Amino acid sequence: MWRKVAALCLMVLLVAPSLSAQAREKDQRRTNPTEELPAGPMQAKATTACTECHEARIILQQRLSKAAWTKEVDKMAKWGALVDAADRDALIDYLSANFGPDKPAYEPPRTADKIASGKSK
Amino acid sequence: MKPSYSIELIRIMNSRRDFLKQISGAALAAGITPLLAQTLLRAQAVEFPGEDDMILRSFRFVDLESPVEYFNTWLTPVPHFFVRNHMYEPSELDANEWRLSIGGEVEKLLTLSLAELSKFEVHSVVNTLECAGNGRSLHRPQVPGIQWGKGAVGTARFSGPRLRDVLQRAGIKPTGKHVMFRGLDEVPGKVPPFIRSIPVEKALDADTLIATHMNGSALTKHHGFPARALVPGWIGAASCKWLTEIKVLESEFVGNFMNPGYRFPNQPMKPGDTVKPEDTHPVTALTVKSVIAAPSDGASLKTGKVMVHGAAWAGEADVTKVEVSADGGSTWNSANLGREQSHYAWRLWNYEWNAGKSGDYTILSRATDSQGRTQPASPVWNPSGYLYNAVDQVKIHVA
Repeated sequence: MWRKVAALCLMVLLVAPSLSAQAREKDQRRTNPTEELPAGPMQAKATTACTECHEARIILQQRLSKAAWTKEVDKMAKWGALVDAADRDALIDYLSANFGPDKPAYEPPRTADKIASGKSK
Repeated sequence: MKPSYSIELIRIMNSRRDFLKQISGAALAAGITPLLAQTLLRAQAVEFPGEDDMILRSFRFVDLESPVEYFNTWLTPVPHFFVRNHMYEPSELDANEWRLSIGGEVEKLLTLSLAELSKFEVHSVVNTLECAGNGRSLHRPQVPGIQWGKGAVGTARFSGPRLRDVLQRAGIKPTGKHVMFRGLDEVPGKVPPFIRSIPVEKALDADTLIATHMNGSALTKHHGFPARALVPGWIGAASCKWLTEIKVLESEFVGNFMNPGYRFPNQPMKPGDTVKPEDTHPVTALTVKSVIAAPSDGASLKTGKVMVHGAAWAGEADVTKVEVSADGGSTWNSANLGREQSHYAWRLWNYEWNAGKSGDYTILSRATDSQGRTQPASPVWNPSGYLYNAVDQVKIHVA
């Protein structure tokens, strides 16, 4: 397992810096450094419903009660999120279980203007 | 400057924790030196042309926060200036094709190209722009929205024609009471468009601009190229980006981002309670606030002199005083206010604290303004987490 990961990392280490800035800018949509929703029975449906319009990181940073998640889900359904009526309660449960007020705060990454060489400026 | 690394690497490692675990394991497995592994551990940046060392609150759509350590210059450099978008940025922006229309309750409809707009007299305003939701993550109970820390604020010199000069060319009818702005934001799904309005009195203020420049350069795309409204002293949401339509209205614009969005309860409320829309009013001017830029929260320092510094602002009012406490608020000391000042701009401030004894300290900062307002000790909770302005604090260790 680790050999595989290490090989992959080394490959990325070698290949990534050689990509031209232009190529990476073009590929930005495809290589979005966005987050993913956590595993669970509703992961796929939540991904479809929510990330059509915004990335998962917006959800990952919320810490809301079930009542607050209910309001959010209903608002987003009104705004075009595709939530089957039969899935609404399960989606609210999934979000409440993963992003309730008792969870530790989400730690966001930072941006870098240029990531060409991997060297510090 | 932090070392940074490629987005490709980050893509493979989905979560931050997995990334840390896997990269250190992989580094050891591959025989990489611990020093290099350390470098990789700190190298979790997401490539973002023109936006340097910003806290990534959201990549799609773009929301970026300034780390408070950058609040050490009066003008915030554009690469460190917060970015707040409600939806997608315009996918195509051609300065030659761009037009600004002025209509509604006016004598004469106008359509201006960028070249025509640039023929108006240029005026500059140094303005502290703050997102209404800055500090939202500090409210308890937590409220929904982008979980801004302390850095959805910055100060820049904005330049462009006065909005009133453009409105006066069109001629406002006596029925015109509010001025609506529409930007070129691209709306996903059935989300209501980002349209808001301001009262005509504020629109006709000599310092309200159609800004085309920021700190002397043309606006960047993230900041509203080619032109944005600049409503000084007010919440950032008033200063519509990628401006394409100005419409004079008989009454306040009716839409999601005027109501229920961007409203504040008329009366103080118990944290966690709900409020009826009719018991709220639109959020307009910013309130009095200070933020400590250094020392950083959680810092370990040696005994001796410590320069505590930061920035303080008050919307349409002026900061008159900033005080610092190193004993959790028992005693307060006046900070020095920076020389650079302008009506709508923050003041930098500093206070040299003598950390004589080792121990754990809570450093506080508290600003007071020309309207007699002082930052409250505890936050004024509201359902959307607007206008957080409690006394700022950092906890530090002195050894």
